[in-house]
Amino acid sequence: MTTRAVSRRAALRRIGAGAGALTLLPFLSDEGLAAFVHIQGTKAAPSLKVLSPSQYATLEALVEAIIPADERSPGAREARVADYFDLVLSEAQPSLKEEWLAGLAAFDAEATRRFGKPFLRLDAGQVEALLTDVSRFEAVKTKPEETAREVTRYDQPTQKPVLVEGLLGDVSRFDPDRPRPPLEAFFATTKRATIHGYYTSEIGIHKELRYKGNQILAEFQGCLTQDGKDCPHCGQKA
Amino acid sequence: MPADPTLDVDLAAVTDESRKLSASIQPRSGPWDVIVVGSGAAGGMTAFQLAMAGIKVLMLEAGRMIDHRKEYRTMEWPYQSPRRFRMPPDHRPIAVAEYNFLDRPYGNNPAYDKYKKVTSYAGNTFTRNWVVNEKEHPTTGTQYSWVRARVLGGKTNFWGRGALRYGPLQFKAASHDGYDVDWPISYEDVSPYYDKVDVLLGCSGTKEGLMQVPDGIFQRPVKLNCVEVHFKRAIAKMGRHYIPGRAGVTTDGLLNSKYRARCMGRGRCGRGCDIGAAFHSPTALVYPARDSGNLTIRPYSVVSEVLLDAGTGRAAGVRVIDANTREVMDFKAKVVVLGAGTLDSTRILLNSKSARHPAGLGNSSGLLGCYLSEHLMGPRGSGFIPVRIGTEPTLDDGRPVGPYIPRFRNVTDKHPDFIRGYHFQGGGGAYEYPGMAHDLPGFGKAFKSSVRKYYPAMISIGGFGEVLPRKENRVSLDAVVKDAWGIPVLRFDFRFGDNDLKMAKDMADSAEEMLKAAGAEAIKIERDPLPEGWSIHEIGTARMGDDPKTSVTDKFCRLHDVSNVYLADAAPFVSGGTQNTTWSILAMCWRTMDHLKERMRVGDV
Repeated sequence: MTTRAVSRRAALRRIGAGAGALTLLPFLSDEGLAAFVHIQGTKAAPSLKVLSPSQYATLEALVEAIIPADERSPGAREARVADYFDLVLSEAQPSLKEEWLAGLAAFDAEATRRFGKPFLRLDAGQVEALLTDVSRFEAVKTKPEETAREVTRYDQPTQKPVLVEGLLGDVSRFDPDRPRPPLEAFFATTKRATIHGYYTSEIGIHKELRYKGNQILAEFQGCLTQDGKDCPHCGQKA
Repeated sequence: MPADPTLDVDLAAVTDESRKLSASIQPRSGPWDVIVVGSGAAGGMTAFQLAMAGIKVLMLEAGRMIDHRKEYRTMEWPYQSPRRFRMPPDHRPIAVAEYNFLDRPYGNNPAYDKYKKVTSYAGNTFTRNWVVNEKEHPTTGTQYSWVRARVLGGKTNFWGRGALRYGPLQFKAASHDGYDVDWPISYEDVSPYYDKVDVLLGCSGTKEGLMQVPDGIFQRPVKLNCVEVHFKRAIAKMGRHYIPGRAGVTTDGLLNSKYRARCMGRGRCGRGCDIGAAFHSPTALVYPARDSGNLTIRPYSVVSEVLLDAGTGRAAGVRVIDANTREVMDFKAKVVVLGAGTLDSTRILLNSKSARHPAGLGNSSGLLGCYLSEHLMGPRGSGFIPVRIGTEPTLDDGRPVGPYIPRFRNVTDKHPDFIRGYHFQGGGGAYEYPGMAHDLPGFGKAFKSSVRKYYPAMISIGGFGEVLPRKENRVSLDAVVKDAWGIPVLRFDFRFGDNDLKMAKDMADSAEEMLKAAGAEAIKIERDPLPEGWSIHEIGTARMGDDPKTSVTDKFCRLHDVSNVYLADAAPFVSGGTQNTTWSILAMCWRTMDHLKERMRVGDV
């Protein structure tokens, strides 16, 4: 990858930064900003730190299968979620990194075992079948009795610390640590990080969610019923 | 691993300024009339009140100065950083479950060896340079998620902005239900000071006429968004109020401050408000106080103890350990005001041992450190309001706080299972990050469209319950463990009690009841309390009272035992209601300082 020199002004224009960029300016070095803008540009080649080109290609297909392009917005591929994975992996503890890479290999092997070809070359129906199987764990997880945390309070501190380590995604989110099949665990981890990567991207925030905040407002409007009007947004009457 | 230039705020200039400042201020640089320890809500208000009255003040802050223009990254988008707001790899916040399971001190756990900085749960990409490293600041005893910030302004740099008043129900709680004791003062004593704080600092809210959360002098209120109006109408039928949150934020502007502009509706105030609309101690109090010419700020000044003049029996000053040079020096003044935060102020007093005060300064009652109280959090509920499912998102989060459900238990009725009460905070709508996506099953186009379908409809409320003040809930000095500066650390002996846990159950039940009344879909109820300390509303370890045998300070927050030592933070609070603590700290501190100023005027100190 060649990092082209980008002026700050041009760079900010290209990442679509508004007034908020003014507060960003002091913290980004020219080099860091230029590199980042380059990565954000969808056509730039990835600058991989951990993933091999083939792992990257498989991951791109997987994240796109989790959050695909549709009529409303581009998907995780164009949002460069796989690049985000690569960065996170590069900073992860070695054991967690190895575990996830092994999961990716096992996932691809499962595709080959079932359909005789790697994940990258599966057709849409085969992708659907495979992901339906590995995401089965989630349907169970969403039952209320399963999400209830078993936390024994006020007993003596355990001798063996139970750490909530997260390779990907938000480490502060509590995830019940309980055994589950490796491929399903791999899927859960990957989905969590895909959600985080996608919905923190420019595409995810602005094009997909059409999030409207983080703007300078004269006054926060809220529901118009509060001004004694019928609200066109929610249809509630004054 | 090299610092990532796209992530790290360059703190070289402010660090350099702080070092120069601390090196230039020596014990001989005085004289000062008053020493104040800490620079948050309590320290800031102390300095502001005294300096504006012409009193020479030395402020001792354990951390560095803050570069508020650079460090308050209010409008930064997540995609402006490749890490998307994740902490750098050598930083790690303690996760919620770890508080319950890991041995104390948390930071010493071998599993954390690989991290350079381990912070409380409040550490994130925006606060991580402010909150302390648990490795340098251990605690022992029972689990407690103690959030501390050592930087100018302390925790006010990222506080939640909830600006609520205690009312008659809090000051006279014992008279209401017979438990424990009343405050030695009443709402009428403090009400004028709440008024002054509202006017000086700006407070947004609506007049509701509710005695459980008295009205203030309000600026333009923040509005409810569409899901919230729906929820408000639904719970109004149950006789419950859902009111605009009261925020310590100026929405109309302030004519008294050159450091603060009015709210521009951007949200994300918890990163620090770069235009100063939200109250943060540096811009609101410390800088104006410094402009008076009467305030000296010494950063990197870790106070270990209050020094006693053996001849007079009065405090002579404080002992400071320079956080960088480790040099120990004694600063002298006529009066010492502790505003280091409830627990750290208590720790300083416990560590101020002398022949006359063997159990710590101000501890002749033996009650210093007892009656630690806070707010129980954790029980909460969420769901999706049907009227907004599948609609286009509106701008729902351009405001400093979400709405508020005032306490409804044990106000006029009497609950069979518990005394005191709780309130809820929380709202809904389309916030920047769709956290609910993590709870939606599936993948592919169906998953993606379900995220955007439910995205505008989310509502979530969480309870804050009064933890009963109990003598056995206490902190003391650990006999063995010391912090990075050799000062004994706090040992917690704090557990939620029977009343607290019964209340927690009702909080979860109420959340469920209200979400059902609103017709919410996919209701999710969390019932477990979060770890102790989560509210960051700790109070009560040096409670006030008229009788020196049963209290630590008098009704002006002055130690019964030593007439020139004051507590400016929430340590003297007798009980904490359900209200967020900061606004009461500010009002009580102003009242205390009026008392001190009068004593100084008549030459009583």
